[in-house]
Amino acid sequence: MRKYLLRRALFGLSTLLGVSLIVFVVLRILPGDPLVAMFGIEGFAKLAPADRAHIMADLGLSDPLPVQYVRWMRDIASGSLGRSFFRGDKVSELILHRGPISAEIGVISVLISWLIGLPIGIVSAFRPNSLSDNVARTMSVLFLAIPGFWLGMLIVLAALFWFNYKAPLVVVQLWQDPWTNLQLVVGPALVLGLGQGAYIARMSRSCLLEVIREDYVRTARAKGLQEALVVMRHALPNALLPVVTLSGILMGFVLGGSVAVEQAFGVPGLGRSLVVAVIERDTIVVQNLVLLYSVIFVFVNVAVDLSYAWLDPRIHYR
Amino acid sequence: MKNGLGVGAMEVARGADLPQRSVARELAAFTRRNPLAAAGGLVGFLIVVMALTAPLIAPSDPLKADFRRMAKPPDATSFFGTDQVGRDTLSRVIYGARSSLVVAFASVLLGTTVGSLWGVASGYLGGRFDLVSQRITEVLQSFPDLILAMAISMAIGTGMPAVIIAIAVTRIPFGNRVIRSVALTVRELSYVEAARAAGSSQPRVMFHHVLPQCVAPYLVLATAHLGVAIIIEAALGFLGVGIPPPTPTWGNMLADSLTSLVPRWWLVFFPGLAITVTVLAFNLFGDGVRDTLDPRLAPAFLRMLTGGRRA
Repeated sequence: MRKYLLRRALFGLSTLLGVSLIVFVVLRILPGDPLVAMFGIEGFAKLAPADRAHIMADLGLSDPLPVQYVRWMRDIASGSLGRSFFRGDKVSELILHRGPISAEIGVISVLISWLIGLPIGIVSAFRPNSLSDNVARTMSVLFLAIPGFWLGMLIVLAALFWFNYKAPLVVVQLWQDPWTNLQLVVGPALVLGLGQGAYIARMSRSCLLEVIREDYVRTARAKGLQEALVVMRHALPNALLPVVTLSGILMGFVLGGSVAVEQAFGVPGLGRSLVVAVIERDTIVVQNLVLLYSVIFVFVNVAVDLSYAWLDPRIHYR
Repeated sequence: MKNGLGVGAMEVARGADLPQRSVARELAAFTRRNPLAAAGGLVGFLIVVMALTAPLIAPSDPLKADFRRMAKPPDATSFFGTDQVGRDTLSRVIYGARSSLVVAFASVLLGTTVGSLWGVASGYLGGRFDLVSQRITEVLQSFPDLILAMAISMAIGTGMPAVIIAIAVTRIPFGNRVIRSVALTVRELSYVEAARAAGSSQPRVMFHHVLPQCVAPYLVLATAHLGVAIIIEAALGFLGVGIPPPTPTWGNMLADSLTSLVPRWWLVFFPGLAITVTVLAFNLFGDGVRDTLDPRLAPAFLRMLTGGRRA
């Protein structure tokens, strides 16, 4: 197990190294001069060539690319992650300030997706082609097609229209004011949770349908077990593995989707910072945030792999 | 990997058994088998027609501002209302279909094709090339789709080609993975071995014998990803890194609606509805195409595998 863990960690690290290289190269082929983005075209024209060179050197943009890459890696190792072009803030502080809200949204949305998706999947599988099954399947097909950010905008509009309610727009952490914080995260979490829930419901239904036909489920019923026990003790544990895998893959949907959904709700999370940084062409902030999102994505999927051994005792890692 | 069970063998058998049927009869059979998918295909087709004939059916110019009719709710003159500068929302939604569809079709075609060709090569050639390809795919898949698309779109500038490339890159790993697994199975079939034994060159075996077997899964993949591509395009537009205004796209119309203090409901509702209907249509159609072309996923085939029990 320890050996497997080590191998998996090394594999993940090398993947992330590749990710960092791609992010770095992609962001350095920017055609526009970052100074134009910073000062505007007129402001840029007013700068003397010497000033331009001075500012570029100050920002560390006139060094050769390998030097810039190594400096980035050093900034990561030191934990500061570099400074924003525009505001001069440390990127690490930005993440610590904005990150917790986005993390809350992500975690709550995964919980919601399981709380909604799994029961729907179970009902659908045990009563196939019933009314509730058909309603559930129609809903899940529908939710796969509705863009989360649009649903979010509609919710914001509806809340404003019917209840004259507007969610707070400032950064409030859970430990400062739980109630305000909850109002901030509940909308995005719900929208993302419903989107994932549609996938979870679909997957758990089809996995359960396969398991239900197994002999041991028939045996469990034949010995007179209650239906609820058959589901909870015998069918579900064996159908769960692919659903957990899917939930890990859906992390990509949550991370990417949260950027748009935060924008729709006007929640000041990390996704908003990414959008602002992209529009301002703040390369240092963008490269760190893109890397961070990928780190989380890779980490979650490694964790999912490791959870197999716990969910299915037949699996051993060596 | 799903058990390949010789996709090749299945295809060959089907081709030999079935007499050639006309397109109309083929369509009729498809509709009978998958009424929902056919409905999705019909709606998708109508949306394509709407995009093509936009200048003929749009009630007014999507770019023409009318300062006497600013931010009007839907009424008899403009069915979907007008925006902050008096442009007709219905016309903008109709024209918006153009950018969405062009981007979706082009990016899926580009991404899936590049991914598939790469997948054929890496599945067939194997060895070190395959190993390196798999690692690169792994890295590409470690980005959340939308975030990778945002970064690429930011790097190569806004505009339609940039958006197409950005979305296409996120589709490459899917084509690569799926087609590679098909190529791995097909490579072992005896007719490929026969071709090799007859002295065909590597590229010839790859393009003439392995590649044709990948067409069905390729079509399945391409149709399955159209919906996702439309959602990513809309999201990029919404986040301000898609096709820039004044060109109307469903995404930048939604972004536009946020500029007023209290968003007008019709400016939010209609563009989003257009996205949802389009994605729904393409998804339903894609499911039908998958059931038809991929015998491994078709109900009849599943029944055969499970020994006659209902799938």
